[in-house]
Amino acid sequence: MFARRALFLLRLVRAARPLKRTDDVPRRVKNEATIVLGQRKLFQRLVPGLMHALIFWGFLVLFPTILMAGIGAIDRDWSFPWLGSQGWYMAMVDIFILAVLTGIVVAVWIRKIVRPRRFDGSHLGEADLILFMIALVVLTLLGWHASRIAAGLNEWPAHWSFLSNAVSHLVGSGASVRERIFVWAHVVVILTFLCYLPYSKHLHIATAAINVFFSRTRRRGRLEPLRFDLPEAELRFGAGTIRDLTWKEMVDSFSCTECGRCQDVCPAYATGKSLSPKLVIMGIRDQVFAEGPNLLAGGELSPIAGNGVPEDMIWDCVTCGACVHECPVSIEHIDHIVDLRRDLVMMHSSFPTEAESMLRDVERVGNPWGKPQGDRESWAEGLGVRVVAEGEPAPEILYWVGCAAAYDERARVAAESTVKLLQKAGVDFAILGARESCTGDPARRMGNEYVFQAYAEQNVATLNETGVTKIVASCPHCLNSLGNEYPDFGGQYEVMHHTQLLAELLREGKLEPVKSETEITYHDSCYLARHNDVAAEPRELVAAVGKPVEMEKRGKNTFCCGAGGAHMWMEERGSPINEERVRQAAETGAETLAVACPFCTVMLDDGVRTSGKQLRVVDVSTLLLEGVSDT
Amino acid sequence: MSVLVFLESADDELSSQALTLARSLGDVRAVTVEGPYAPAGWAAAIVEAAGGDDIVGPGSDRGNEVLAHVAAQLDLPFAANVSEVRGDELTRIRWGGTLLEEAKLHSDRRLVTAAPFAFAPASGGEEVTVLSPFPGNGVEVVDHVAPDTGGKVSLADAKVVVSGGRGVGSAEGFAILEELAALLDAAVGCSRVVTSAGWRPHSDQVGQTGTKVSPDLYIACGISGATQHIAGCKGAKALLAINADREATIFAHADYAVIGDLHEIVPAITAELRKVKGS
Repeated sequence: MFARRALFLLRLVRAARPLKRTDDVPRRVKNEATIVLGQRKLFQRLVPGLMHALIFWGFLVLFPTILMAGIGAIDRDWSFPWLGSQGWYMAMVDIFILAVLTGIVVAVWIRKIVRPRRFDGSHLGEADLILFMIALVVLTLLGWHASRIAAGLNEWPAHWSFLSNAVSHLVGSGASVRERIFVWAHVVVILTFLCYLPYSKHLHIATAAINVFFSRTRRRGRLEPLRFDLPEAELRFGAGTIRDLTWKEMVDSFSCTECGRCQDVCPAYATGKSLSPKLVIMGIRDQVFAEGPNLLAGGELSPIAGNGVPEDMIWDCVTCGACVHECPVSIEHIDHIVDLRRDLVMMHSSFPTEAESMLRDVERVGNPWGKPQGDRESWAEGLGVRVVAEGEPAPEILYWVGCAAAYDERARVAAESTVKLLQKAGVDFAILGARESCTGDPARRMGNEYVFQAYAEQNVATLNETGVTKIVASCPHCLNSLGNEYPDFGGQYEVMHHTQLLAELLREGKLEPVKSETEITYHDSCYLARHNDVAAEPRELVAAVGKPVEMEKRGKNTFCCGAGGAHMWMEERGSPINEERVRQAAETGAETLAVACPFCTVMLDDGVRTSGKQLRVVDVSTLLLEGVSDT
Repeated sequence: MSVLVFLESADDELSSQALTLARSLGDVRAVTVEGPYAPAGWAAAIVEAAGGDDIVGPGSDRGNEVLAHVAAQLDLPFAANVSEVRGDELTRIRWGGTLLEEAKLHSDRRLVTAAPFAFAPASGGEEVTVLSPFPGNGVEVVDHVAPDTGGKVSLADAKVVVSGGRGVGSAEGFAILEELAALLDAAVGCSRVVTSAGWRPHSDQVGQTGTKVSPDLYIACGISGATQHIAGCKGAKALLAINADREATIFAHADYAVIGDLHEIVPAITAELRKVKGS
């Protein structure tokens, strides 16, 4: 039964869409060692992590006993070569039997007493059954070893097995009959479990290690590009039905254990939206299992959007990546959601109506607000910034301004500050002016891959023609596209965020700010801290000008401002994410809320205004400029 | 070579520009279609009238849609938004005017629309043949129904919009804006903060994710002027901003500005208007 089911799952994965995930093997091996063997991501939560690690490590150690019991059930006197007679191993077996039992007790305590909200929507009965079966596996093993000692059948020194030895005194008469009963019970329990396994969420013990191995290694903020140059039969416009899923997406869905960590950290879920990343993956898995036979037979398939995954969920996502960061089995939820959006936008033109003008304006005018391209450099008037015209030599550093800083009054303050600081420090830099356009990021996150790729190609052409090698971006979303996604379109640049460059200048002593007593709390942008590992540099800057105080959700665990995934241009359903984040910031008692992203600036400033909190929302660069100007 | 040009109407500006382009390509026959709008039905009529000629249309929403249907029915390539044609090679305006694209049409027959304002309007009219649409072809517009605005002027069509933001302070605070709007035959709009706070319905929201308005006069009361809001009212011919905060970004976009409390200024304007109207 196990083999039949396993074959079915394997055929599904083989029928899925191709995806290249075989590069960078050393790092994949390292992930396997830390995330699987070391349980790194599980330990992001200490108690549940320890619980799982005890059971997981326990079963690694106990694995040989399954073989021992399997053959031992048929031939009572058979002994596993060498290992079966090692006292130290049997001592470890007893230690890890205890470890697993402790793990199970903790798990029951978590599930029955603590009852965290992250389990909402998971199959709770199934989890109880699985825990019960795990307990049976180790208890029958203990019984078998104990009765083996009682019957004098142990081929290892009994005193090593402190637990089994102690229990053996309880076995009493008829030990050799009981030995047979226990070994068969043990084997039957394991075989039953094996058959049940691939039909349950416990399948992760087979697929999680595979899933972790093939997860993203570098450039975490990069989306897989769609290829429009393929022959008709291989073309794929996101995920309409389960036939369009990539094999990684399929293995993702098999690997989900419904632990709900993703749901727990999701800013959309936390503010009452319909989205739960867990339910998205579970919905896709259920649909894959239900329609799998149909897929293999080449039959009709129903759309995923509206069936396995409700459409609301697809649009609620801010692509902040908290779920991906949290998932212990390395499921990549954003890929699923963006693929579903791609199908809705490109094949069915179905998306929240209010986002239409953003998509149209990005496509037609090259910025999401429909402002004239000619006004793009007007923010820099009077600042003495060099604009690289066509044919002119590239500067050492190209300052990529981004649409928000170019057109939004609140966002441009950061660009002005950055420019003044770079001038003060004597950096050779210039901007592209009207030759810069939207990177295509909002269109891509909305699912309009066509428009994104057109912009990627256009911008890469401009940058390459100009001979740009080093870019400083003011917007983390631009940074992500330029640095992580443009390499797919022939653009290889060293891309850094303005906070990174400013921190460098600070370290070199080219900027010397005065430190004030102002308490500043820094809000990490998702696309900076989580997707691109930039968290230390902005903090260096904050520490140089004031007294840093931290929020609970920070760094890679940051909480979105609400604008990501093109949500800057959509209406929010449910309670506002930005107000929630402002509430968290105000709790620190800080007077200043420092940011490093133009969208965070606008969203959080709005949040401060609507919630009436006393906080000044300001970009780190502006704080630094104020610190420097005081001298 | 002969060319059939499709005009939306004889005096339509973009159609007249299309005529200029058509004349540069060969002997022109001009047609227009009269009847309920049905893009596929209109296209079918044009296809029949064209015989084997090239077909040119205006770069308007309708021109592009009808020509797209023509191309589909003939199974021929179609180039929209063309600014220059040289044989089968052409230049197209793309990305909102930021990019000129050189393209080649792989076809003996050219199907193009003229990019708006890339050509001077044609002088002197052509004799225009009026075609009737082929019935029963694709979608046909049967009727236009305006949303029920409860007898008030609709936001999108209003000549004057009186709009309120956070500065209004409450749902009740909109009474003075309503009063002014009634006098001016204007519609009342609001910013996103207002709808988020539940003071007005979302249908009243002006901005990126609300209604885009282009009135002759937009009166922004207590609106700070976030980019998201400006995106919805930038089409206004004149913008009057009333705000107590002299630093408010709305003033950067305003043609007329009043710095002060809207709760005093709006009633004052109303009173003054009453006087003027009364006399």
